[in-house]
Amino acid sequence: MNGRIALSSAAARDATADAPGSLRPGGATAARSEPQTGPASPAAAGARPQSNNGPTPAASNGPGVKLVAGREISLPTAVLAIDAHPDGKRLYAACFDGGVYEVAIETGALRRLGKHDSYASGIAYAPRSGRLISAGYDGTLRWIDPAAGTQVRCVEAHKFWSWKMRVSPDERLVASVTGQYMAGGYKYEPAAEQEPSVRVLDAGTGKLLWSFSHVPPVQSVAFSPDSRYIAAANLMGEIRIWDVQSGKQQAGWTTPDFTCWGIIKSHHYVGGIFDLAFTPDGRELLGCGMGPMVDPMAGNGKQTWQRFAWSESPARKGGEIAEGDAGRGLMEAITFHPDGRSFVMAGKLAQGKWSAALFDATTGRMLHAVDTKMRTTGAVWLPGGAHLALCGATSQERKKNGRCPDFGHIKLYDLAVTG
Amino acid sequence: MHRRLFLQGAIGAGAASLMSWNGLFSAPAFAAEVKKQQKHCILLWLCGAPSQFETWDPKPDSIYSGPFRSIPTKIPGVRFGELMPRCATIADRLSIVRSMKTKQGEHLQAINLLQRGAEPREPFVRPTLGSVLAQQLGHLDSPIPNFVLLDPCPEGNEFKEFKAGNWAGWLGAQYGPVRAGGEYKLEDVTRLADETTQDQEQREALRRFLTRKYENDHASSAASSQNAVFSRVKGLMSCADLFDLDKVKPADRERYGPGTFGLHTLLARNLVEGGAPFVMVANGMPWDCHVFQHEIYQMLVPEVDRIIYHLITDLEQRGLLDSTLVVMMGEFGRTPWLNAARGRDHYPDAWSLAMAGSGIKRGAVVGATDADGVDVVGQAFNEKNLFATIFTALGIEPYAEYTERDIATFYRVEEHAPPIREILA
Repeated sequence: MNGRIALSSAAARDATADAPGSLRPGGATAARSEPQTGPASPAAAGARPQSNNGPTPAASNGPGVKLVAGREISLPTAVLAIDAHPDGKRLYAACFDGGVYEVAIETGALRRLGKHDSYASGIAYAPRSGRLISAGYDGTLRWIDPAAGTQVRCVEAHKFWSWKMRVSPDERLVASVTGQYMAGGYKYEPAAEQEPSVRVLDAGTGKLLWSFSHVPPVQSVAFSPDSRYIAAANLMGEIRIWDVQSGKQQAGWTTPDFTCWGIIKSHHYVGGIFDLAFTPDGRELLGCGMGPMVDPMAGNGKQTWQRFAWSESPARKGGEIAEGDAGRGLMEAITFHPDGRSFVMAGKLAQGKWSAALFDATTGRMLHAVDTKMRTTGAVWLPGGAHLALCGATSQERKKNGRCPDFGHIKLYDLAVTG
Repeated sequence: MHRRLFLQGAIGAGAASLMSWNGLFSAPAFAAEVKKQQKHCILLWLCGAPSQFETWDPKPDSIYSGPFRSIPTKIPGVRFGELMPRCATIADRLSIVRSMKTKQGEHLQAINLLQRGAEPREPFVRPTLGSVLAQQLGHLDSPIPNFVLLDPCPEGNEFKEFKAGNWAGWLGAQYGPVRAGGEYKLEDVTRLADETTQDQEQREALRRFLTRKYENDHASSAASSQNAVFSRVKGLMSCADLFDLDKVKPADRERYGPGTFGLHTLLARNLVEGGAPFVMVANGMPWDCHVFQHEIYQMLVPEVDRIIYHLITDLEQRGLLDSTLVVMMGEFGRTPWLNAARGRDHYPDAWSLAMAGSGIKRGAVVGATDADGVDVVGQAFNEKNLFATIFTALGIEPYAEYTERDIATFYRVEEHAPPIREILA
């Protein structure tokens, strides 16, 4: 199977409004920009994107940064999650068709490495072991040898979907979260879990290490940079953090700003926290999603992130997206730049100008934003941090000549210095 | 008394002259006969329009298929969406129509179309299915309303607009719904503690006299309708318990689930058991999932699966399934293709509905769609075919001409559209 590369990026325009025709750094156009693979930050190639550098102002007093649209790769099926190979030349994609694909950035060539029985929803490459771990709506985690293109292990982690899966930075653990939203009360409060919502497995052997309880559906999970803690959050905005050494819950709190109860069309809950990321120092936790809506199925809640000092008791909200920065739409991916000084949040645009934006990690100030023209579901910085890969999907269309037009996309952005 | 039995002269005039209406119903043999012949209808109104793919017509091999798989049913070769395991076990008691094809893709117009059975012809307002059935199946003197709408959601976008409109059309307000459920509690239907029966009757007699006088003096059909409605509400005082969720057996509540839709379906079962001819159960407009479809359907579809299963099973166990038609439908279907928000949009071109009970064949699956569910393969059915089927199944003449004053020529089912014969028993 081949992905299709589009070298033009008219569809992925700059949303923070430079004048048309403005020069891009180095005079390169988006159409010609090439992914840079050399390490350009402390997070060198060969390590998972993370940094223990203390966050410093990214652009407050110095030159600005911007995301410059680069290569686009179209896939015949939606991409729900991506990760990058340390060589910076390959991406791994988890897709609607259940496929786990290796994507050659240069050519767009796709190689299927594995297959789930339903949507593949999570993907992580572990450089030290050279293994790829995927998760799916079939409830399984699968270990794949990407070089051989063979599955080496399959573990049923859940009876229901794996909403999100993450591998710890030290590559020793893999965490997956699940849970079906079922009516649990007159107002359709979520019913109690039918199985543990959070599973932590040994990334090397697949052995189940921990099962943690939460209120389903649990839609997001993240490891702390030191691999000691995991955070998981759900539909109701409830966040829990466990110590994966002791198995004890370390913190738990609820933010009401990601969930709404339907008033207009229906009486039930919608929303939740769709992705989590610890700050590079591990002291704070960021969550992203969408603010409450009047019509719960309009998809037009506020694009939002919040950060919490989770080790304080009670957890303290330390900041959130500035009101003027937020448009409307569901935000599904949040991830720090390898240098730790900024983070990107991406999702779908309902109203406003952008669907992916770069924020200063210290101040929370928006640095730059773009409209990816797709529902963006995953984000990964290529090693070195010079390039950002976003994945997602556009609408499916009627078949033409017996074939559904491509609706999956991977879009690369160069992180460019301006001014 | 059953209006149609009365009109058909099934009861001799002599007998009627000897007994009061209440007396008629207190005669056990007659009451049993009437109860036996009484037809009922429960409409599970899945407003917002459910996806056929996640319910009755899954396409697991299509690129447009979502994350939900399909499962086998009691009928060999027939599969439902995996979120309907309970319905799969009673598929042999349901009839599925997979080839509905209608022409309205916007909610308000489509709700009107599927509730009234024909396109509008202004300025005339065609009565809704519930109003027609209330007129045809209703009792003249039943304390239970002939048309009950259970809907806890006071809002509902286009459905709200529809709800605020004229349900009974040219039949008159007396055939409109009595609404209850959730926010719409039947308040003030209990007689005050310090009011004696005699006081109440005297007040009622005075109200009746004054209203009749006003009707006569002003030739007011509105006053007449309002008087009928008042009488109906007065009747509610005697059956208020049937609307009281607190009086529902906990075991039943457990089975139907905790959500409002399940509880109100349970009330519908009890109302039908109590003699109500038509009960419509709605829950706002929850099926309109342009976004979050997977996230919401994982909850909504299992809920409706559970509700349908228990409703059909309960009606059967109570001996009511053969006399009660259950219709499960929305106003159209959903697109095969997922939009960028991973939702499905409006799609009237090829969709599904289900029926069971009175006059309906068991285990029939009628019609088909192509491999991706884009279009109907073979004969398609529209709202007129559906209404002809419902009326036929309930023993109501489908093509009768309306004889109300001051309206043009209308028929219960226009264009002599045939019923879906393949699902008629």
